[in-house]
Amino acid sequence: MKEKNVKKVCDLLIWIVLSGFTILILIPLIFMITASIMPAAEIMKMPYPWITSTVQWQNFWNGLQGPDGSFIYLRNIFNSLLVASVVTFTTVILSALTGYGLSKFDFKGKNLVFMLMMATMMIPFEVIMVPMYMVIMKMRIQDSYLGLISPFLISAFGVFMMRQFLITFPDEVLDAARIDGASEPAIFRRVVFPNCVPAIATLSILTFRTQWDTLLWPLLVVQREEMKTIPLYITRFIAETHTDEGIMMAIAVIASIPMFILFFTMSKYFTSSGELYSSTK
Amino acid sequence: MPTTSHDTAMILKGKKRERFSMEKQKACWGWMFVFPALLFFSVFSFYPMINALYMSFMQKDLLSLNPPEFIGLRNYIYLIHSSDFWNSIKDTTIFTLGTFLPLLVFSLILAAFIMSRQKFQKFFQMAFYSPAVLSSVVAAVIWLLIFNPRGLANQGLNLLFQTPGIDHKWLANDKMLQLSTIIVYFWKYIGYFTIVFVAGMGAIPLSLYEAARIDGASSWKAFWRITLPLIKPTTVLVSIMAMLQCLKTFSTQYLFTTSGAPTSPINVITLNIYNTAIRDHRIGRASAMSIILFAIMLFLTWVQFKASKSDKVSYT
Repeated sequence: MKEKNVKKVCDLLIWIVLSGFTILILIPLIFMITASIMPAAEIMKMPYPWITSTVQWQNFWNGLQGPDGSFIYLRNIFNSLLVASVVTFTTVILSALTGYGLSKFDFKGKNLVFMLMMATMMIPFEVIMVPMYMVIMKMRIQDSYLGLISPFLISAFGVFMMRQFLITFPDEVLDAARIDGASEPAIFRRVVFPNCVPAIATLSILTFRTQWDTLLWPLLVVQREEMKTIPLYITRFIAETHTDEGIMMAIAVIASIPMFILFFTMSKYFTSSGELYSSTK
Repeated sequence: MPTTSHDTAMILKGKKRERFSMEKQKACWGWMFVFPALLFFSVFSFYPMINALYMSFMQKDLLSLNPPEFIGLRNYIYLIHSSDFWNSIKDTTIFTLGTFLPLLVFSLILAAFIMSRQKFQKFFQMAFYSPAVLSSVVAAVIWLLIFNPRGLANQGLNLLFQTPGIDHKWLANDKMLQLSTIIVYFWKYIGYFTIVFVAGMGAIPLSLYEAARIDGASSWKAFWRITLPLIKPTTVLVSIMAMLQCLKTFSTQYLFTTSGAPTSPINVITLNIYNTAIRDHRIGRASAMSIILFAIMLFLTWVQFKASKSDKVSYT
């Protein structure tokens, strides 16, 4: 009887810890969303009024407009979407292509190539960003989409992931296609690529998220306002104006909308990236 | 008779040649599939890495057109004697230890708690993960307002300790500022590592727990004797990943300093590299710092791998 009570208390405690933690984690998110429709004066009230008395949708309009009324934020949002999409697209295609080459073909030096590519995973971006920047300067593509995109065309992790995924792909299917006279590029496009969808979805989400978050690289290569991405716009906002907190939160909400849409529609693939890591024992 | 044997030899040879050429063709295609990536990594990984090493022995101004000047180990010697650099090492160490250990411990505990529930498993995972969806810039903006003297952080602490009206100087006091950056990072990544652990624990066969229960083991004991040893590979992986991530932290510190917080307590190595290269234009010195960071990361990864291999457990 006593043991049963102890168990019940334990059970209850775990529920309390989990729910308490959930609330703590969600508070900043709720704060962002509630503050984004508040007048600034109300946000800085003590204690914080969680529900506003006067809903101020204007914050979003003002946030889009920017302090100088140039609507440059819209352009910056477009830049972020464009860069993240292109990077995701090329990463997926090139990783699949390379992973296919490394898993289904035998050629001299294959293992060396694979090892070299995996070695680059050990090199943190932060360590090579300065020489990389100098490469971009030499190519004269700083301050452009090409400059923003080219260092991220493919990821070593993507190659690794696609190779692991394709290693189990049945050879018989490929040989059958070959006997039917399909060319190698056609086999890749028609047979291999469509069969990688789960891996591709996970890799896409992972890449898009990382790219959406990138601050350091754009900070290096971009100077012109119209080439900036969302993180840079927000950074500038923090640095130059300590103005309206409501507008600031509205900008933050706008910057998060695409990711939240992805998160709620494809949450399976967000969490599967975690599973992926734990399965690479 | 001789003609036929000659014929078969010819046929065999032809077949062999055909096979050989097909294999050669396949190898050729393999190279073609791999080549674009190899080219890319050469330009954007191998070359910059070699260049970083090369530049670390040079003196070079970012904007000047003069060729770099060889100065041997002087960049490294300068760094060893620079208090600013040691301050960065200290800040990075504080941040990494202060973030990565709590991340590891809490994500493990939370994952175990989640796995012990029959209901709401997905809900808790999603809720914990949700901050990771935000970009780090957005996270920094939110927390800057929370750490504002009139913000939620002060209100919360004052409510907890019944000390109304006290400003805890989240962004002004050195120690508090370090704690603030740690909180932001912890908040952002706790869900991610929790999910990794949940996945690791999900892979443990349930029959083991059933056997333990039949033998009369409590769930507490089962956690220590079954879960913990069996998810060791995941633990090693998470600890390496979390540690490397913490060593590379940049955004939070950068944004906090841009918004006016003092730099020196949170001047982590990456921030220092950035400022040295972009603000001070000293490429050589920044490269030397990068190489040192790289060496530290390699060393720590190696140590963790070694430590995890030394006491291997087998479960049969």
